This record gives sequence, C-alpha cells and structure tokens, in this order.
Amino acid sequence: MKKIQPIVQTVVIGAIVLSLTLACWFHTPQAYSISERSELKQFPEWSSEAILSGKFMEEFEEYAADQFPMRDTFRAWKAFVAGKIFLQSDNNGVYEAFGHISETEYPESVDSFTHAKNTFDRIMANYLNDTNRVYLSIIPDKNAFMADESGHLSLDYDAFYQKWRDYCHETDVQYIDIVPLLELSDYYRTDTHWKQECIVDVAQTLAEAMGTTIPDDYVTHISDTPFYGVYSGRYALPYDADTLCYLTNEAIDGMTASERLDLENSREMPIYDLEKLQGPDPYETYLSGPLSLITVENPNASSDKNLIVFRDSFGSSVSPLLAQGYKSVTLVDIRYLSSRNLDAFLDFEGSDVLFLYSTMVLNSCKDTFK
Amino acid sequence: MVFSGIPFLFYFFPAVLILYFLVPKICKNGVLLLTSLVFYSWGGPSYLILMLISITAGYTSGLLLEKFDHRQPLRRVVMWAVAIIDLGFLAYFKYADFFIENFNVVTGLSIPLLRLLLPIGISFYTFQILSYTIDVYRRDVPAQRNPIDLAAYVTMFPQLIAGPIVRYSDIAVQLKSRTHTFQKTSDGIRRLIVGLSKKVLIADTFGKLIVAFRDSNEPSVLFYWIYAIAFSLQIYFDFSGYSDMAIGLGKILGFEFLENFNYPFISKSVTEFWRRWHMSLGSWFRDYVYIPLGGNRCNKPRWFFNILVVWMLTGFWHGAAWNFIFWGLMFAVLLVIEKLFLLKFMGQSRVFSRIYVLFFVLISFVIFNADGQSGYWSDIPALFGAGNLPLYSADALYYLKSFAVLFALALIGATPLPKKLYARIKSTRGGEIAVGIAEPLVLAVLLLTVVAFAVDSSFSPFLYFRF
Repeated sequence: MKKIQPIVQTVVIGAIVLSLTLACWFHTPQAYSISERSELKQFPEWSSEAILSGKFMEEFEEYAADQFPMRDTFRAWKAFVAGKIFLQSDNNGVYEAFGHISETEYPESVDSFTHAKNTFDRIMANYLNDTNRVYLSIIPDKNAFMADESGHLSLDYDAFYQKWRDYCHETDVQYIDIVPLLELSDYYRTDTHWKQECIVDVAQTLAEAMGTTIPDDYVTHISDTPFYGVYSGRYALPYDADTLCYLTNEAIDGMTASERLDLENSREMPIYDLEKLQGPDPYETYLSGPLSLITVENPNASSDKNLIVFRDSFGSSVSPLLAQGYKSVTLVDIRYLSSRNLDAFLDFEGSDVLFLYSTMVLNSCKDTFK
Repeated sequence: MVFSGIPFLFYFFPAVLILYFLVPKICKNGVLLLTSLVFYSWGGPSYLILMLISITAGYTSGLLLEKFDHRQPLRRVVMWAVAIIDLGFLAYFKYADFFIENFNVVTGLSIPLLRLLLPIGISFYTFQILSYTIDVYRRDVPAQRNPIDLAAYVTMFPQLIAGPIVRYSDIAVQLKSRTHTFQKTSDGIRRLIVGLSKKVLIADTFGKLIVAFRDSNEPSVLFYWIYAIAFSLQIYFDFSGYSDMAIGLGKILGFEFLENFNYPFISKSVTEFWRRWHMSLGSWFRDYVYIPLGGNRCNKPRWFFNILVVWMLTGFWHGAAWNFIFWGLMFAVLLVIEKLFLLKFMGQSRVFSRIYVLFFVLISFVIFNADGQSGYWSDIPALFGAGNLPLYSADALYYLKSFAVLFALALIGATPLPKKLYARIKSTRGGEIAVGIAEPLVLAVLLLTVVAFAVDSSFSPFLYFRF
C-alpha cells in the first residue's frame, strides 16, 4: 500500500487536473450565461500595450473564470458546500426560505435615502407646480415577508416606510400605502418582482388614491415558457421555475406604447412583448423591460388626465393596469435617464406624478439615480 | 497570478509541469527561471527589471566576495554595497511615501507623495538575496557560479511573491541535484490541495465576514470580537495556506522548503508563538539582525534594545504604516516582559498561558488590520464596549450563526488535532489501507470544491501580497 498509494494519488489528481486543463484550453467560449443573465468575458485582445500594462492578464483572469467548463455545475457545487456543509445562512447574499429565493437587503443605506430625497426634491422644484398632484408609494421587497421569520438580516421596514411618510408629510406629497395589500405569494418564487395577476388590488388602490378608477375584470394569459427568475441563477442550485402570466381586457388591448428614443424619435412597442418570454429575462415581457422613457396611450380612456410615473422595474407590470384610468401614462426610469433635463422630453403641466419604487432600489440608489 | 486562481491552476502550472518534465535535467533550472519570470510578470512586467538588477547585484557580489577572499575590507564594501542597493530599492518603493508623509506632518511641509506601485514580492526576494550575500560573506556557503541557478533560486515562483523566505543555504544542494519521486509528488499534491483549501474555503470565506463587519451599521461588542477572531483565523489560514501551497509546489518540482508555520495558536507564550508563526521571517531577523546586534549575549538594557529594534523592523517589514510598527513594538514589549519574569509563571497553568497568548494575538491582529490610526484607536476600545456599544446586535448574531461551522472547522484546523488523528489512523494496518483509499478521493473532492469556489468568487488576492 505504501508504494501504491502515492502513485494512485498522483494519477487521480493528475487526471482531474489534466482533464480540466484540456477542457479549459480547448472548450468553445460561450457568449452568454443564461443562468447568470450576463455576458461572459471573451478572450482578451493581444497587444504589447495591453500586456505591458497588465490589462491583458487582468482580462484573461476574468475570461478564465467566466469560461470555465461546466461553470454552472461548479457554481451549484459551491452553493451546496456553502449551504449544506458550512451551513451558511446565505450564498453570496441569496437565500431560500418558505419556497422562495430572495436576496438580503441590508444594511440600510442612509446615503441612498438622502440621494433619493434630493432627487425627488429637485424633480418637484424644477418641473412641477400647483397644477400637479404628487404621490409616492413604496413596494416592499420579498425580504419584508421572509427575512424576519427565517432568521435573515433585513431592513427595519416600519422605520423605512415611516421615513418616507415623514418626507411626504414635509413636502406635501401624498403617501399611498400598498404594503398591507401585499404578501409573499404575490411575488415570483425565483424572482425579485411581483406577479401582475396578484397586484390588481394594488393597482386599484393606487388609482383610487390618485382619484381615478380601474376595473378588476381581466383575462389571465399563462405563459407556456418556464420562468426562471433572476435569483434562480444566483442561487445556483436547482429550483422549480415560476409561471409568468399577463392580464388583458378590452381597455388594455386598445392601448399603444412607445419608447422615446431621443428628442424627436420614438418607436412603437407592444404592451406585452411576448417574444421576451423566450429571452433571458421573461419579466421584460411587460413593456419590454428596462427602458428609460415609455409612454402608454389609452385611446379609450374616459379621463383626459395624464400620469407620469417615476419608477423601477416593478412599474412595468403595474402600469398597463394603471393606464386604464388615464389618457396616457409615461414611465420614467431615472436610472437610465438624467432627471436634470426631463422637460426636454416631458410636459408636466397638469399631470399626476407618482414616485413608485421598491425598497431595494430606494436603498441602493445613491449610485444609480441620475 | 494567484495559486488559487483558474489561470494558475489550469493554464500556467500544467504548462510549467509539461515543460519542466520534458526537458533534460540540465535545463530544468532554466525552465524554472523562465516560467518564474513569466509568473512574476503576469500582473505587468514593469518591475521585472528591478528584480533582475537585484539578482545581478547578488550574483556579482557572490563572485566578488570569493575573489576578495583574503581582503576583508573589500569584502565588507561588497556586502554593504549589495545591502544598500537591495534595501535602497525596498526603502524607495515601499517606504518612501511613509517617510515623506511623516516628514510633512513634522515639518508642516507638503512634499508631494511618490505614489509608487509596490513591486510584488520585493520584501521577500530582497531578504533572500541579502541572506545569500551575507551567507557568502560569512563563508557559510560558497558563491553560486551559475547565474541561472542563482536566478532560479530567487525567482522560483512557488515562493517568490509571498514566501516562505527560503534561504539559499537550505536549497543550494537541491539547485544542483534533486530527485522526483511519486512519494514526493504525492506529498506535494496533498500539501498543495490542503493549502488551497485553507486559502479558498476558509480564509476567503472569512474575508466575506470581515467585509460584512466593515459594512455593518450596527456595531456591537460581540461583532468586534467576531471580527477579531475571524481576522486572526483569516490571516493564519491565508498565509499558512500560501506556505503550504509553496511547499507543495516545491515538492512537485523536487524541492524541500522548510516549514513556515507550526500551529501558532496553541502556543503557551508569545515567545513560542513567534517560533511557530512565519518561522522563515523570524529566523531571518534572528540570524541577520538580532544576533549581529549582540542578541542576548550582552547586558539586559542592550538585550532589550536589540529585541525592540528587531520587532520594530519586523513590524515595519509588514507594511509602511504606523499600525505595523505598533504591532511589532507590542510584541517586543510582551517578549521583554516574558523574558523578565512572565515566562517563569507561564508553565504553571497551560490554560492561562494559552488564553493570554490568544488574547494578545487577537489584539495584535486588530492593530495589524486597522485602517489608519483612527482604526485601532476605535477598534480596540470597541472590543471592551467603549462608546456605549451594545453587547450584541442582530448582525452579530446572524453572522455568528452563519459562520458557526466555519469557525468550528477553522478552530479545529488551527490545532494539530487533525494531523494527529490522521497519523493515528494511519498507524494501524487497516487504517493505512483506509487512508490509502480515502485520501485521493478526499483530495479530489477538496480540489473540485476549491475550483468551484474559485469559479464562483471574484478575484481575491492573498493578504501577504502587499508585503
């Protein structure tokens, strides 16, 4: 045994290293990781400048990790070891509880709160006047329903909401509380977002608070494509897919949407872009995903009011419902469009304005709100 | 390039092995030199020339020291010339900004800082070249006449950038002739994988806890202690893991490097701790600074002065900042106290001795990791609840629970218990067979787990790279 063991050990480990080495050297690089929803680094370009500066090597390190053969399998094994052997409460901030995957939203960012307040203040001071009615509503992230009970870190949500209530009180903005209407099952199990079919009451509450009404009768369309949300890839271990639904009725069917491309041009787009169901993020089905400036027109509206929604991705799925109570709804994402020259694109006169943000975005906006 | 990264494990090292074992024996040091230069240049080759100048100075000095064998004044000049060149580079690249900053503070001037990038491994290879020159000067070893062999010794990639500080005298014979056996390779593989596991699975995971501690806005006494223990374990597993990898890689290439760590956390005195922690650095300062200063063969005040100088330099070697100097001086004070009277009492209670060592080691690493002076002025009092800190917080409890298994594994792994257990199992016939079958499988699983963590994580450099 004494003589054989070192040979066996050398051969076993040598075979593993050799196999992985050959796989690294000769496997075909992938362009995109579906599970991680990100583009993968490609082999860096050679140049004497890149080599001398160390840029080539830096990029090669990223390439080697990104393009590692069976990357998803290795990531799953890592998640298993971290969760089931080291018994860590989360894996890279992502955890599973009550049949849902979520991401820890912690700690509270005071800088983000200040930055968000300053941004909203500036928008109101620069563009709004007495003809506008202004509303603010906060969408809780899933941790609000999961973290405490499952023993994970989370924001002090009551204090968080109260700070925004106080802000609204100080600035004459009407706060619309939708938190009591939501529960964990209103969110996808593998994604951060809420389900459109579960937020009809939320849309009605928002509409009523803004002085309009919307119906509650819809046809629910269920997508055949399994929906693996943003967390399923990050969780890395196998997890059942969600089902994505979208709601229609006569009013929604009659709506048109367009994305503003620049000062003069815009392009038509569907309310529900069904091609996105096959894409990397099926949630982009709702108003085509993260776009900076979208307008939804409702020609059948009984009202001639317009609504401008400052929003994050949660706004994409609720806006078609809200649009039933307005002649038009314009969605502005100030993560992609600077809030400093909005009057070049938008006429604020007489519009209702709604700031509708999730806790996650409000708590991390210090580097994203422009 | 880090040993635990994909580029090293599956691009660089396999290529080195293929080349190394394909070429005839006479060319092996050449291959080692060339591949080590590639390894060193990986992050950008701008400082390669600096290392080559140091090597050339060391090589030339060796030849001159032998040539002037009977002319002692000239030999002294040569030895000091090399010391000035090497320490000059080290002082300029590592310490210039520290001196300028402090000069500005004292004089009120505002001399601009140089903001130089620290050449990787300069603290390690400078000490290796110095030890070679001094050893030749002392006639402890003959000068190396083959420049490739000397350059291969200095640049040898397993130990180039984070030690251990391999003495020329320890591997001079191996540079000429070394054996490659399955036993040695297998031992090297085991050591390499154990080192990788210590670094990637334990140290890097604790690194995330340290980041969470720094990001937390709910400080508490408990969280400060968790941080102190986690950082102490992180730096131990990081650095000893690196040393294990270096020793393992050396074995695979036919070398035998000396040990650098010997379970320091079980020490019963600070004196013993430093015989078990970063042993190659401790012995370097002992042989090339402490003993030349007079060591302990002098009166007590001089002896204590020698200790103070050596430990201040040890601290300063770790980094150009006051916290490193205080860190070194703290150990100097403890060592003096031990030598004055404390050591006599240490043997009376093993429990007390160990608590005493662990307490001061934890405190020392809080100073070591402090971010600027304000860091340790706030971190250390916080350990004792200063500033009306709450005893515990939600974060502290969460991370304690989340890292409990890792703490347990690390605390056990920092003792000789696993090694003893391994030896005991292997000592029986049945146990030897079981180990013979299980070991390759366990190592394979560990290697794949390390790869999984490396693939999943972002780049995490070794802590000792900054030295």
